[in-house]
Amino acid sequence: MADLLAIGNWLLPLLYLVLLVDYGATFFLRMRTDARSPWLLVVVAAHLAFLVLRGVHIGYLPVTNAWETASVLALATAGVYAWVELASRDRRTGVFVLLLAFLFQYTSSMLLAGRVAEPSEVSPGAVGMWARLHVVPALVAYTALAFAGVYGLLYLLEHRGLRRHRFGVLFDRLPPLDVLGPMAWHALLTGFVAMTVAIAVAPLLLGDGDGEMTAKVISKIIAGSVAWVVYAVAILGRWLGKWPASRISTIAVAGFIVVMALLTVSGLLS
Amino acid sequence: MAELSVIGISHQTAPVEVREGLALASDEAARVLAGIRAENVFDEALLLSTCNRTEVYFVPRTEADPLAYFLDHVARVKGVRPAAGADIFYRRDDADAVRHLFRVAASLESQIVGEHEILGQVKDAYHLAVEARTTSALLNKLTHWAFRVGKRVRTETDLGAGSASVAAAAVDLARHIFSSLEGKTVLLVGAGQTAEAAARALLASGADHLIVANRTLHRAQQLAYDLAHETIGRAATERAAAEAVGLDAIPETIAKVDLVITSTAAGQAVLTWPDLAEVLRTRRGAVLIIDIAVPRDVDARLGSLDNVYLYNIDDLDRLVRRNLERRRQDIPKAEAIVEYEVGRFGRWLASRQAAPTIRLLQQHLATIQKKHIDRYGKQFSQADRTQLEQFTQAMCKQILHTPLALLKELSADAAPSERLAAVDLVRRLFDLDALEDEQPG
Repeated sequence: MADLLAIGNWLLPLLYLVLLVDYGATFFLRMRTDARSPWLLVVVAAHLAFLVLRGVHIGYLPVTNAWETASVLALATAGVYAWVELASRDRRTGVFVLLLAFLFQYTSSMLLAGRVAEPSEVSPGAVGMWARLHVVPALVAYTALAFAGVYGLLYLLEHRGLRRHRFGVLFDRLPPLDVLGPMAWHALLTGFVAMTVAIAVAPLLLGDGDGEMTAKVISKIIAGSVAWVVYAVAILGRWLGKWPASRISTIAVAGFIVVMALLTVSGLLS
Repeated sequence: MAELSVIGISHQTAPVEVREGLALASDEAARVLAGIRAENVFDEALLLSTCNRTEVYFVPRTEADPLAYFLDHVARVKGVRPAAGADIFYRRDDADAVRHLFRVAASLESQIVGEHEILGQVKDAYHLAVEARTTSALLNKLTHWAFRVGKRVRTETDLGAGSASVAAAAVDLARHIFSSLEGKTVLLVGAGQTAEAAARALLASGADHLIVANRTLHRAQQLAYDLAHETIGRAATERAAAEAVGLDAIPETIAKVDLVITSTAAGQAVLTWPDLAEVLRTRRGAVLIIDIAVPRDVDARLGSLDNVYLYNIDDLDRLVRRNLERRRQDIPKAEAIVEYEVGRFGRWLASRQAAPTIRLLQQHLATIQKKHIDRYGKQFSQADRTQLEQFTQAMCKQILHTPLALLKELSADAAPSERLAAVDLVRRLFDLDALEDEQPG
């Protein structure tokens, strides 16, 4: 089993890289934009199988630290994108979303290399009921906010290209603004709601463990609060101030950077 | 005598004053085809008539001069003989005729290479010929093959990519902002051929509300009426709406429109910053403004507003030139696809000759005979087995006698279409195409 997990850990970033090349060719060489890729579903299924096997082997849900979470995020990002592609029959934005999935998985695989079959040093707080109630919405939030960041960035690229009258590859290949804008907005809204639930449960989580305010916990509280405020401002701005999609997209990108910083800091401190 | 030919004129061989004499409306083309069908000069015929070309694809039955024959029929329908000398007509035979149709369907022969209308026009021409019952095995196969070639070139190359006119560029830009133009409102300020064409293209692409603003309200009303009836009225009468306003109503009108095309001869900005900045800033949603006028109608400062996408005639011209260059670069790729498909069609046509079909049919029966002898022959003595072989050979020969005689007769005497239909039937009855695919080489 340990060998199988080691191979899987090594193989997964490679599979995402192959997908990335395939979707890159679709975008840049204008190939088969409306064809759905069966390989995406194969990679998602393989990744799911890997996580289940690992969970069975180590005896807990593999989301106890940032590097394990990164792998789950890679799967969630690729899985949600596969659903979007199945529904929209448009694979033009795949390269951007799968770049993120690849980076998540690459980071996870590199940091878990050599100890993928070993359990991490799980704190008692990480396996309690509140932990689970915190982790699930947090994962939804990370995934949705990653989508909001990617589609927000694509919106900004196209918006600026159109305003500056640039007729390049992005002009040819990106979906229209009124597809990208609502996608970023809805993902941001979903991510914000999930993040609010995760933050609301967070104080109860401390009761599961030893209640110690470690540097990791403090950094998560600070970065999480900053990200939450950023997204809350965007939502209020949109509802009350009728902020344009370009501003919401800018905030989606900025918020995503803060969330990634949160994930990285908590990973480095764990 | 060629099996398949095409004669015609196009923008490459004849000026517009000659082409218009031969251009046939749909009902006229139907009457020409009906006339052709009543006689026995062409075995099959397909008539393609667009503003850029009039050509007839035909399978000749006699040695009669096809050009004179065709012009006679056109003269009968139009009531006057077209004033076109024989020297401006081109004629292509067999593989060249196939290549010509494939190139036409792929839009390689169009005045604007890569334009999208031609494939639809070829389809319309085919449907007309089917209704007139002037197509059979050869032209049916060829035309469907041409549809596939046209589609392949469109999907595998950039030949049809992007817009190739100012009007199409307006639609192109709108589609980068709005996922659908349905429910969108177009404001046309002023008039002019290019602006009207752009408004027409936007309406034809789904926009279903038109507002025309003009210095004189009467002119605006007339233009709104004409454009609405010409485009949206035809596509979506119940949803269509058109109205006219004076230029002074633009500030209150612009808040409710999604696309603006301006082309006045005012000589100064008609859409000004003091009048419109606040309205545009506070409106919900994006607005695309296309300023075709020279001098410009739109204050350039309006383009700095976050939800305003402002383009002038130079921007559109740059987009069109870039697209045409992209199309030009992909011509060799499209031509390679056409050549490949011409080769494939040629191989298909060769397989529909009587001789290879007869050979294949004999091989097929011989294979069946050998398979069954191998399977059941072990139950017989050597002598009985030899007799069994002779008996089954004779039986196969007897079975094949009539079909082979018919195929040979068709090969010698029948018209190509009749032969093709018969050969096709035999090949389907015995599944010879699958057998041929299995053979090495």
